[in-house]
Amino acid sequence: MDSNKKYWKGLEELNRTPEFVEKNRHEFAEPIPIEEVLSGGGLSAKTPRRDFLKALGFGVGAVTLAACQKVPVHKSIPYLVKPEEITPGIANYYSSTYEGSAILVKTREGRPIKVEGNPGDLLSKGGLSAQAQASVLELYDNSRAQGPLLNGTATGWPQLDKFVKDELAAIKAGGKKISLVTSTVHSPSTLAVIADFITAFPTASHVTYDAVSYTGIIQANKNSFGKAVVPHYNFDKAKVIVSFGADFLGTWISGEEFTTQYVQNRNSKALEEKKDMSRHIQFESGMSLTGTNADVRLPIKPSEDGLAIINLYNALNPAGALPGAKKLTNANADKAIILAAKELQKAGAGKALVVSGSNDVSVQTVVNAINSLLGSYGSTIDLDNPSRQYAGNDTDWLQFVADAKSGAVDAVFFLDANPVYDFYIAKDIEAALSKVRLKVTFSDRADETAALCNVVAPNHHYLESWGDDSAVEGYYTIVQPTINPVNNTRQAEESLLVWSDNAVKSYYTYLRNNWDKNLLAKGGLSGQKGWEALLQKGFINATAVTPGTYNFTLSLGGVAQTILNNSSKVTASGDGGFELQVYQTPAMRDGKKANNPWLQELPDPVSKVTWDNFAAMSPADVKKMGLDEFQVISIKGANGYSVDLPVLSQPGQAVGSISVAVGYGRTAAGLVGNNVGKNAYPFYNLLSGTFQTVSAVTVAKTSTIFPLSQTQTHHSFEGRNVIREATLVEYQKDPAAGSGKEGEHEGFYDLWENSPHDKPVYDWVMAIDLNACTGCGACVVACSAENNIPVVGKDEVGRRREMHWIRIDRYYSYEQNGDAKTDGRTGMVTKEKDIDKLVNFDNVTVVHQPMLCQHCDHAPCETVCPVLATTHSSEGLNMMAYNRCVGTRYCANNCPYKVRRFNWFNYWNDSRFDNYLSNEHTQLVLNPDVTTRFRGVMEKCSMCVQRIQAGKLKAKIEKRPLADGEVKVACQQTCSANAIVFGNRNDPNSEVSKALKSERTYYVLEELNVKPGIGYQVKVRNTLSELQA
Amino acid sequence: MASHSESIIREPLITGRDITYAQITNEVLNPVENKPNKAWWIGFTVASMGALLWVVAISYTFWFGLGAWGLNKTVGWAWDITGFVWWVGIGHAGTLISAVLLLFRQNWRNSINRSAEAMTIFAVICAATYIVAHMGRPWLAYFTLPLPNQYVLWVNWNSALMMDVFAISTYFSVSLVFWYTGLLPDIASIRDRATGLRRRIYSVMSFGWTGSVKTWQRFETVSLILAGISTPLVLSVHTIVSFDFATSLEPGWHTTIFPPYFVAGAIFSGFAMVQTLLLVTRKVLGLENYITMFHIESMNKIIMLTGSIVGVAYITEFFIAWYSGVEYEQYAFINRATGPYWWAYWSMMSCNVISPQLFWSSKLRRSIKFSWFLSIIVNIGMWFERFVIIVTSLHRDYIPSSWVMFYPTWVDVGVFIGSIGLFFTMFLLFIRVLPSVAMAEVKLLLKTSSEQAKKKLILEGHLEPAEVQHYKESLVKFDSIDMSDYEKI
Repeated sequence: MDSNKKYWKGLEELNRTPEFVEKNRHEFAEPIPIEEVLSGGGLSAKTPRRDFLKALGFGVGAVTLAACQKVPVHKSIPYLVKPEEITPGIANYYSSTYEGSAILVKTREGRPIKVEGNPGDLLSKGGLSAQAQASVLELYDNSRAQGPLLNGTATGWPQLDKFVKDELAAIKAGGKKISLVTSTVHSPSTLAVIADFITAFPTASHVTYDAVSYTGIIQANKNSFGKAVVPHYNFDKAKVIVSFGADFLGTWISGEEFTTQYVQNRNSKALEEKKDMSRHIQFESGMSLTGTNADVRLPIKPSEDGLAIINLYNALNPAGALPGAKKLTNANADKAIILAAKELQKAGAGKALVVSGSNDVSVQTVVNAINSLLGSYGSTIDLDNPSRQYAGNDTDWLQFVADAKSGAVDAVFFLDANPVYDFYIAKDIEAALSKVRLKVTFSDRADETAALCNVVAPNHHYLESWGDDSAVEGYYTIVQPTINPVNNTRQAEESLLVWSDNAVKSYYTYLRNNWDKNLLAKGGLSGQKGWEALLQKGFINATAVTPGTYNFTLSLGGVAQTILNNSSKVTASGDGGFELQVYQTPAMRDGKKANNPWLQELPDPVSKVTWDNFAAMSPADVKKMGLDEFQVISIKGANGYSVDLPVLSQPGQAVGSISVAVGYGRTAAGLVGNNVGKNAYPFYNLLSGTFQTVSAVTVAKTSTIFPLSQTQTHHSFEGRNVIREATLVEYQKDPAAGSGKEGEHEGFYDLWENSPHDKPVYDWVMAIDLNACTGCGACVVACSAENNIPVVGKDEVGRRREMHWIRIDRYYSYEQNGDAKTDGRTGMVTKEKDIDKLVNFDNVTVVHQPMLCQHCDHAPCETVCPVLATTHSSEGLNMMAYNRCVGTRYCANNCPYKVRRFNWFNYWNDSRFDNYLSNEHTQLVLNPDVTTRFRGVMEKCSMCVQRIQAGKLKAKIEKRPLADGEVKVACQQTCSANAIVFGNRNDPNSEVSKALKSERTYYVLEELNVKPGIGYQVKVRNTLSELQA
Repeated sequence: MASHSESIIREPLITGRDITYAQITNEVLNPVENKPNKAWWIGFTVASMGALLWVVAISYTFWFGLGAWGLNKTVGWAWDITGFVWWVGIGHAGTLISAVLLLFRQNWRNSINRSAEAMTIFAVICAATYIVAHMGRPWLAYFTLPLPNQYVLWVNWNSALMMDVFAISTYFSVSLVFWYTGLLPDIASIRDRATGLRRRIYSVMSFGWTGSVKTWQRFETVSLILAGISTPLVLSVHTIVSFDFATSLEPGWHTTIFPPYFVAGAIFSGFAMVQTLLLVTRKVLGLENYITMFHIESMNKIIMLTGSIVGVAYITEFFIAWYSGVEYEQYAFINRATGPYWWAYWSMMSCNVISPQLFWSSKLRRSIKFSWFLSIIVNIGMWFERFVIIVTSLHRDYIPSSWVMFYPTWVDVGVFIGSIGLFFTMFLLFIRVLPSVAMAEVKLLLKTSSEQAKKKLILEGHLEPAEVQHYKESLVKFDSIDMSDYEKI
């Protein structure tokens, strides 16, 4: 709408004077003296002092103001082309394989962040070991090689290829040997690549060298039955298991698989359905994870291991008794051998199993004879579907060392082998390598062996690789990459293909060809569809051959003599003489993963020591030698090798023996693993052509104290009903035996009866079966990976500040001997002051108890928090609001279970913790669904609330109720023993509700009326009452 | 207060010949109006070095995190809360002296209440620093206040720590007001004698005190009201501090005896600290005539009484632990006496229970050196009491796998020693700028309860000779009375 009003700014405008009209024609009413300034004196004119100061002041002021606020630069780079399968915030799972076990790799936005067991896996049925759980972290290891090295300097792959090919051509012309030294390879395609390589270079040979060797078993089976294999054991079929130093639940052959088998006859289900459980008798010198789970465990000296087996053979077969048998030093063990023989025979044919951890062919031959007597072959031992997990051949390897030393070898390739660290005579291998012209290692880092090699051709991490695996005959799994290679690395197989000028240079194509031609058919698959089905499922399982029975027919006379001769060679004598046994810990194993901080910080299941190895000695020996806790002793081997290690007083350690773990003392593992502990491999002993773990040593005291960082420093449960146990006999009489349900209970009072916490839909609880839990600690690592738990290092663990949300409490108790008083409830010596009076620490029993936030319904932590940072959810969860926490630590003090963890430092961003996880690259492993916690904040188990939430959302989107078992918490998921059941208590049909209804269920500290949400099931032991009589 | 003559059998509260109001003012204000002497400088240097250590240790903690202390996953409180409770306890004597004794008309309090109240305020400041410093994220300390906010977050009134925040802040503010109110007439006196800038400062600080009858009347009323408000605080503050432990589930903490036991312990340690301070101040500032042997002996009696109460509480705790039949409780107490921290327990027992019993001897009770020595012993013992309660209960509670030892770091020690330095720095500054004896209140006693007033009564001769004789005998213990004066009369 037009207005007829006219606005004017001045009389000039109103009157429209000529001057105004003239001026108004230009943009600026007043003329601007630009010309004047630019020409004339404008530029050259002197600036007056005041103007200069004004301009300066304004300028400086403006710049200062502008500089005050640092403008943060946040680079966010969106997907320009979004990959079809990646939705930010949604995890993708890819099937792959870890050491023969089918796994699922969880990736988020293209990064693998967690490894989980494939529920269909033949070996561990969805469980995973601590090492497997930790393997994802190695992908992000800063110490990995960034690219290939030629003579110690970085180079490119083409240059490297040219060098190696030229060298190989020259060597081929020279005609000297080429050796491919690998640890056991059970990948069919890798073996095919190696075979092709050998075809291309006829002087080449494949040497399998395992740092921890099973040559003894393989050779014994070859001698006994003509089958040079590690058999496939079936512990689930055994009613009576007798083990001589075989840590079959931990480090022996296939720990996770054996755990799933073993607990089948011992867990809640077995007890409730069969009212029976297997009996496990363990003879060993150092306390192993398996020993802690045995119903009867007897310490025997390492040198008497073979003798004990001979005695067992004689007890089983008095007619054909072997010569040279004599009594064991431990009279109780002698008695136990006789009883064990009776038990084994009572079990019936095919229901017994005897295993030995020895690598001595003779010992394993006698074990074969025993198993043959017991009818184990075809039932508990399967020789026709053998395990491929270990194929190391000590003779081949020693031959290689000898050849190399003599200059007969011109090229050596090390794949997954690090002999400079783990061969027992480092000097020999150094001398040998100095004579080899071309030394190539595929090591993913500049390790000890790489330092002596002229070519380092770093291999991919397995999460970057294509591949396949077959841990057991007939079971084939696939390895597929889950991320593009992080560093400039190349798969070892591809390198070999390139160097041998194979027709197929891409390992993926090679693998496809191999599967298309040989393997897919075994699973009834074929073509592209079959391949895709395989990638999805992760494995194929050919129908197993029905295992045949085998009879042992050899004469044992000479074998027994060899055993006794070897035994006398390792028998310690004289003052300070000890028998030393080296062993593997479930966390560190052979030391290849020493640079993994999750594993270094995982407490050893038995000693609870982190970040170190030590000399485990019997408490009686410690007392006798007058050693203090952690006093350093100097151990000198027969070959002159000597180490200084702190002493750990280990109940159950055979008197006169010392156990030291291998896998420590790496010098070139990387930032984390270097110089952690001492190397124990040089204590290996070569007897009858195989590496033996026992040797005679002399021990001298030193005056130093080297404190070990243990996560648990009090080892007895003081008779408290925190731990409840029963024997099988008691259980059979009363299923509630030991659960504390026998007596009358007063009613509990409730302070909150007028304001109850309603849990209308879900009530998340857990049931933990103490009879299934072996204490291995895989759950601890799984939890660390899932919940971004920081690694704090040796010093902080030593200050008792480890951050693990779940821990395994391990308690020792003793049968009464000497003057010590037993506890009325348990009939065992459990109190510190009584244990101090003990003279004999041999008869120790161990119990493992996973301990984590109990999510109490009357949580003591919740009432004391001044700022309501920890509260209860309507689903029965005890929650932490990290952002609200001011860090008074009152909740932790008031927690009777002591499961709350405080961030004493800013562990995620503090330069002093750089060795662990506080660097940008390694932090890519973090789970984006879980926040990292800042310094000064309390944290604890959340029952994987992010998983519960994800599960609920998925169900909601699919418009259905959440099914039982759909949400699995990380610790539960990785547990091969299925000791942990998690679920909704409001659903009476859920697994957890059923488990909690068991008569064996008890709640730790239930008398405090905190109403914990985790029920434990009484530990039941199938003890040998005749032994105590 | 009372203007009539006091009974002759009561011991004098002010000694000395021919004391005048002016003389009291001169003597009390001597350190305020003159340059400090050498003893003060030495003390101040040492104390401020301590305060500097405190700054360093606290800064280190704030910079790196609480990991700088020796705490761990099991022992979440140790030297921090030990120090906190120790300082709060020390603060108790001030309120007791100024409020409870005022209500009970215990006139002897007039000489010591000013210093005791100042001590209270400084001790509570030291305690409050611990509250903030022990937090994992001290910059969020305001979360503990019920401030309205858009997140609709509120505090947890069930938590004893929450109650603590209010108990301590209430206590501090009431004590501060009470102390300052009492200071007004004295500040006015300084103002009247000062010149220049000092006069202007003291003038502002005196809030325009005129000294009129109405002013005095209001002063008296306000003092009584504040005394009424403060009296429950004497009981409530340490009761609530004890709730930090008593309302928990921890064996050794979960005890109904804690409130009375903590209050008794607090008074015990508070009087010990008053002794520690005043026995030195009295000598250095020459206040023997105002803080007399009567005061010293009275305070020693209170120390003996409260020490005995604390001792009974210790024994009761043991009895109840046994009587309860709860194994965790029983273990906690056996562990205190015989476990790895037995030395802390027995230090506590000998310092707090055995040593105050020595005060049954009047000779020891009246020995200045011994009193001072024992006051230090009592404060060491009370520190150990809190250490025993906190650390030895926590380090071995329910689940044996979590049992640990606690080892302090240099920062733990630095913060504690430093807080003592901070306390003495504040106290030494206080005696330089404000009168350490309540002049106005002491002057009230001059005409009635002083030695010279009583001597005058004796000379007037209307008294029972037996009573006079009794009076004279009671004077022998005073180190500030020359008994030759009484030979003739």
